[in-house]
Amino acid sequence: MVISFLAPALLLYLGLLVFPSLQAFYISLFKTSGFSDTMQWVGLDNYIALWNDKVFWLSLLNMVLILVVGGACVFGLAFVFTMLLSSGLWGKKLFRALIFMPNVIAVTAITTFWSFVFMPRYGLLTNVLKSVGLDSLASVSWTAPENVFWSMLVGLVWISSGFFTILILAGADKVPTDMFEAARLEGASQLQIFRFITVPMIWDVIVITMVLWCIQAIKIMEFPYAFGGPNISQDVYTPAIYLYIMGFGQRDPVYALGYATAIGVAMFAVTIAAVLAMRACLKREPLEF
Amino acid sequence: MQPASSSSRSTSLKRGIGRAFTYATVGAWSLFTVFFVVWIVIASLKKTRDLFSEPWSLPLKPVWGNYVKTWVSSHFGDYFLNSLWVVSISVCMLLVVCVPAAYVLARARFRGREALANFFILGMGVPIPLLFVPLVVIMTTLRMGDSLSGLSVVYVALSVPFTIYVLMGFFASLPGEIESAAIIDGCSDFQTFWHVMMPLAMPGIATVAILNFVGLWNEYQLSLVLINSPENRTLSLGIYSLISSMQYSGGDWPGLFAGITIVMVPTIIMFVAMSERMISGITMGGVK
Repeated sequence: MVISFLAPALLLYLGLLVFPSLQAFYISLFKTSGFSDTMQWVGLDNYIALWNDKVFWLSLLNMVLILVVGGACVFGLAFVFTMLLSSGLWGKKLFRALIFMPNVIAVTAITTFWSFVFMPRYGLLTNVLKSVGLDSLASVSWTAPENVFWSMLVGLVWISSGFFTILILAGADKVPTDMFEAARLEGASQLQIFRFITVPMIWDVIVITMVLWCIQAIKIMEFPYAFGGPNISQDVYTPAIYLYIMGFGQRDPVYALGYATAIGVAMFAVTIAAVLAMRACLKREPLEF
Repeated sequence: MQPASSSSRSTSLKRGIGRAFTYATVGAWSLFTVFFVVWIVIASLKKTRDLFSEPWSLPLKPVWGNYVKTWVSSHFGDYFLNSLWVVSISVCMLLVVCVPAAYVLARARFRGREALANFFILGMGVPIPLLFVPLVVIMTTLRMGDSLSGLSVVYVALSVPFTIYVLMGFFASLPGEIESAAIIDGCSDFQTFWHVMMPLAMPGIATVAILNFVGLWNEYQLSLVLINSPENRTLSLGIYSLISSMQYSGGDWPGLFAGITIVMVPTIIMFVAMSERMISGITMGGVK
């Protein structure tokens, strides 16, 4: 029974997830466009070329900005929402659901909305700024090369903060309420309660969510790609987008499949390094309660 | 939650201001989500000219033609059926494959059980873009490239780690006495699973089904890589192609927003009906 119950899941998992992961390492050592049967062995050339590839470094920089700047905003918001929502306010579940809701809507839908918000001249944002008389801000081009990445990040933070709020809030809900009661009676403020009770008590949850954010941020593709539109500018490239462009391209595909896969392997390596680093930095003695 | 004891006037005033700030912040953020949905629906019922000249006005004469145009001429009817077909089939297969496996991993006794469970869960850490090229190669070799059936097989395989992880949590939380009782009463292993444990785990199974349905309905990157033919497009790809075509045909933004409404509505309805369950399912995975 054990074998027959496990076999289908194991076969699918091995065949279409584990095997392709290993195969990726192999493919990344070749030069191939996938359509001819000849795969040309080039050893580590793809990786050497990556190292000297300016666009790749640009995509890495964008990834780090998403990871660090985006991460700071996402967790800042998630902490604020957790603090406010666990202060015993009315309608907590409703607010929690609405804050999370962007996560159940298709990415393509959300990016289109934000494109309309940031559209030059006719966009909603320009419209709002004009109506409150901030004409100097209204004339800013939010999709210009120097701004487009940050415009994209706004939408990304909006979605992700909702996702991490529900995770951190779920941790906070597990803390025994009598602790909060006692602190309130002693006259502690919301901020103090959060800082000295909630955070230490749910430290393990915070570590898990930060690791999760790392994994998500490093492989991110869908949101910036859809936001960038058909003529995506390199200013919103992430490694995953660059991988896709190099592999399958847009109008005129490049089909540099070996090179593209090498980018994937680099992403995987960065993910593992980041997760290990996070866990090492954030290690604390677990609290018992 | 106010302590009835010594709260002087100043602290209660402070509390009141804090309260007001809390509601204002959380309320504003929540309202923005509502605004986001409502504005898109309204925008999908306007004329293009009105959308740009008066983005805040209500459509007093709703242009239902936008929907007809998107559904028929932009083929969103076909894309909708494609999405529905792929996602339903994938979720069904996923349950058939993962429920028994998660049950065994959570409750059976055999050597290497924990190692195997961890091996499955590790799959959640693999960045999907790493698999783009290998998956295209494998699918082409299997003659399943650029097909909806191929896409759904990939969907199932790549959803296995998360699904097993969440289901294991549900199965592990069931009481052991019932299982023992069934075995003492002479149920075979399979009967115990099918007649006793499965029905008990139904809430968990339903949760996993909904989460995967929503996730795959919105999925975009794998379909982008694996699907080439226009007739095999899912809704997300349909929207992307509509945006691409708008560059040349001028901007039919209301038609685009109609398409977006078509994508959004099913998952929003599910979420409104089952938000508690979905949120608890996700948090159970991340926060033990």
